[in-house]
Amino acid sequence: MSEKIIEFENVSFVYDTDEEEQAEPKPALTDINLEIEKGEFVAVLGHNGSGKSTLAKLCNAIFEPTSGKVTVKGIVADSEEKADEIRRIVGMVFQNPDNQIVATIVEDDVAFGPENLGVEPKEIRRRVDEALKSVNMYEFRHREPHKLSGGQKQRVAIAGVIAMQTECIVLDEPTAMLDPMGRAEVMQTVKRLNKEMGITVVLVTHFMDEAVQADRVIVMDSGRIVMNGKPREIFSRVDALRSHGLDVPQSTELCHRLGIKEGVLSVDECVDELARLLGGAR
Amino acid sequence: MIRDITIGQYYPGKSVLHRLDPRVKLITTFWLIIVIFLCKSFFSLGLIALTAVITAAISRVPPKMILKSLKPIVIILIFTAVLNVFYVQGGETYFQWWKIAVTEKGVNTAVFTMVRIISLVIISSLLTYTTTPTMLTDALERVLSPLKVFKIKVHTLAMMMTLALRFIPTLIEEIDRIMNAQKARGADLESGGIIQRAKALVPIFVPLMVSSFRRAYELAFAMTCRCYTGGEGRTRMKQMKLCLRDFAAIFFCAAVTAGVIVLNFYFDAVI
Amino acid sequence: MSYAIETVGLNHYYSKGTVQQVAAIQDINIQIEKGSLVGIIGHTGSGKSTLISHFNGLLKPDSGKVLVDGVDIWQDKETLRNSRFKVGLCFQYPEYQLFEETVYKDIAFGPKNMKLSEDEIKSRVLRAAAFVGVKPEHLEKSPFDLSGGEKRRVAIAGVMSMEPEVLIFDEPAAGLDPRGRKSLIGMITEYRKQTGSTVIIVSHSMEDIACMADKVIVMNNARVAMQGSVDEVYSRGEELRSMGLNIPEITEIFARLRARGIDVPASVYTVEQGAAILGSLINGRSGK
Repeated sequence: MSEKIIEFENVSFVYDTDEEEQAEPKPALTDINLEIEKGEFVAVLGHNGSGKSTLAKLCNAIFEPTSGKVTVKGIVADSEEKADEIRRIVGMVFQNPDNQIVATIVEDDVAFGPENLGVEPKEIRRRVDEALKSVNMYEFRHREPHKLSGGQKQRVAIAGVIAMQTECIVLDEPTAMLDPMGRAEVMQTVKRLNKEMGITVVLVTHFMDEAVQADRVIVMDSGRIVMNGKPREIFSRVDALRSHGLDVPQSTELCHRLGIKEGVLSVDECVDELARLLGGAR
Repeated sequence: MIRDITIGQYYPGKSVLHRLDPRVKLITTFWLIIVIFLCKSFFSLGLIALTAVITAAISRVPPKMILKSLKPIVIILIFTAVLNVFYVQGGETYFQWWKIAVTEKGVNTAVFTMVRIISLVIISSLLTYTTTPTMLTDALERVLSPLKVFKIKVHTLAMMMTLALRFIPTLIEEIDRIMNAQKARGADLESGGIIQRAKALVPIFVPLMVSSFRRAYELAFAMTCRCYTGGEGRTRMKQMKLCLRDFAAIFFCAAVTAGVIVLNFYFDAVI
Repeated sequence: MSYAIETVGLNHYYSKGTVQQVAAIQDINIQIEKGSLVGIIGHTGSGKSTLISHFNGLLKPDSGKVLVDGVDIWQDKETLRNSRFKVGLCFQYPEYQLFEETVYKDIAFGPKNMKLSEDEIKSRVLRAAAFVGVKPEHLEKSPFDLSGGEKRRVAIAGVMSMEPEVLIFDEPAAGLDPRGRKSLIGMITEYRKQTGSTVIIVSHSMEDIACMADKVIVMNNARVAMQGSVDEVYSRGEELRSMGLNIPEITEIFARLRARGIDVPASVYTVEQGAAILGSLINGRSGK
C-alpha cells in the first residue's frame, strides 16, 4: 500500500478582503478533496485565477483552509509549531525567481534553509554541495544570484529546497517567467528529483507539455477540481480541456482532429501513429 | 550591462588580507583608525602611513584601484589643506602678502592632516576591497552579537542588511526597466525645472513602490517556507575560526600602536 | 517609398571602452516594410531587446543609423523625441509600468506627453480602451484594483493610445495562460487589420510567430542570423535548434514524416494546416 503524503478533505478557502465593495467574497477554493501519494509526480493545471496557486500554498501551511482539513503526513497545521513541522516535509518553489533568493552568494542561499533548521555546519556544507550538484549548479556556487539566468536562479531555488531534505516539493508555476531554454532546464531538474531522488513533486503550471510528463494531472477551474487522472486520460478529452480555458499539445490536437487516436502525448507517438497509417518506413 | 553591477568594491584575490577572518579585519580596521587619531608627531604618523602602504602592498589590490578610492576625497583634501595653511599661524613665516601669511605651523598642519586623511581612507577601503559585503555583514553580526544583552536584535539587523545587498541590484534593474517603459510613452525626465523634474519621477516612483511591496510580500512567503523564524536556533554553514594569521594581524596592530605611542612620546607634537 | 524602420550598420556595446566590452548587437542591417508584421526571435541574451530599444531611440547606437520612415532619428533632438511617438514600444510585463490613479489617466499619459488637445486625448483614450476591451466603467477605477490580465490590457492601451505608426511588443503573452495568450494574439492581429500599422513582435514562441508574421528575423549572438519569410526561416530547423530555438511541434512532426519517406510538404506551421493535409492523405488512402 502506498503512503499518502498530502491529503485535502473538503477544503474551502476564501481570501480575506479588507474592502467592503464585494459583499460576498468569492471563494478561491471550494470543496477540494485530494490525495497525493509519496513518490508521485502530480501536475496541477488550470487557467490564471482557477485557484491552482492557492491550492499550492495550502500544501505547506502558508494559508490555512477556511473550512476542511489539510493533512501532511498525519500532521494538521493548527499551530505555528505544526506549520513549521509541515514546512520541513513540504518545500516550495515560487514563480518569480528573484523574489525567493535571500543571499548574495549562491551557496549561502542554498544553505539558508538548513541553517534555519539548525543543522550542524559540516552537514550543511555536505548538503549544500550535494544539492547544487544535483541541479547542475555546483560550478556556480560562488556566483552572485542576480547575475544568473532565470532558469539558473530557479535551479538554485530548487537546490535550496533539496538541501532541507524535504520529502515533497511544490512548485508554483516555476517556469512561467522563463524562456524555453530555462523551462527545459527546470523541467529536467524536476523530473530528476522525482525519478532519481524519489521526491514527491506537485507542479502547478499552465504549460501542457509540462503536465504531460507527470504521473497524474489535476485540472482546476473556478476553485474546483474538475478533472483528475493519468495524462493520457486527461488529454484524450480535448474539448473538455478547452472548455476549462486550457489547450493540448499540438501532437495531441493533430491526432484528435484527424480522429485517429485520442490522448497522444508525444511527437514520437504521433509520428509513429501517422507513419503506420500512411505506410512510411520505420 | 546594468545587471552586471557589483555592490561594494570587492576586489577578488587570494592575499593574506583576503583570507583574514573578516571579524579580525573589521576590528583591526577600527583599531587602526583610532590609532591614526592618536598620532601626534610626524614620526608616529609616518609609521601609520607606512603601515597603510605595506598592507596595501600585501593585499595585491592594484595601486590604481586604491588611488581611485582617493578620488572622491580630493576636494576635501584640498579644502582642508587650504584652510589649515591660511588659518593656522605660528613659527617661521614663509610667505606674506597683504594679510595672508603662510607659516611653518600652517604648512605642517596641512601636510599632517592630509597624510592622516589619506591613511584613513586607504586603510578603510582596504577592508572593503578585500572583504565581500556578505562577509562584512556576517562579521558585523558576530562582532556585535554581545549587544544581545541590551536587547538589540543584531541578527535581524544583519538579515536586513543582507537582504538589502541582495535586492539593490534587482531594484536598480527594475528602475532601469520602468524608466525605459515610461520614456517609451514620451515621459520627459531630462528637462524642466526642479519641480517639473520631481513631478516627472512620479511615473517611476509609483511602479517601483508597487513592485517593491510585491517583492517584499513574496519574499516573506518564501522565507517562511524555508522555515525562517528569526535568529533563534539557527546555525551557520560558514564557521569563522581564528587561525595563526589572524593572531599575527592582531599582534601587528598592537606593535603599530605601541610604536605610535613611543614615537608620540619622544618627538614633538605637530598639533 | 521609405521603410517603416531601417537600420544601417547598427552596433551597440556594453561596458564600452573597458576590458569587458561586449557587443550587444553587431552590424545589424534590416528593413521593415510599412504595414508588415515582423517577428523577431532569439534566445535570451541574443540581442533582441537591445535591438528594439534602438527603434525608438531609447538606446543610442555606438555606430550606425536607425531610420524611421526614412529619417535618421538621431539627427536632432526634435526628431528623436518624435520617434518615441512614431514608434510605440510595449515592454515585457507592461502592467508593471502602471502608475496613475485611474485607468483613464494612465492610458492618457502617452497622448498627454505628445501635447495633444484635451478632446483629442479623450477620443484616443476611449478608442484604445475599447480596442483592448477595457470596460467603460473600469476607466475611473484604479489600475491596481484590476486583475492581472486586465492590467496588461490597460498597459497595452497606454501605448496604443499614442497611435504610433509602428507598434513593438516585447513578449506580449509572457505569463499568460493559453486562453489569455490566444485572445492577445487575436487582439494584435485585429489591431493590425484595423489600423494598417506596422507591428513588430518579439517572442520566444515559434508557434505564435508562425501564424502571424510576414517576415521573421532571427537574432543570435548579437547578430541577425536569419531573415526572411516564415517558410524560409522555419525550414532551417537544425540551425534554429542549434541557436536554442525550437521549431513548432507540428513542423517537427512533418519533418519526421518526411524523414520516414512519406511525401508531405515541409512548410506546415499550424495544426489546422497539418490536419487538412494529413486528412486528405489519409482519406485518399482509405479510398483506394
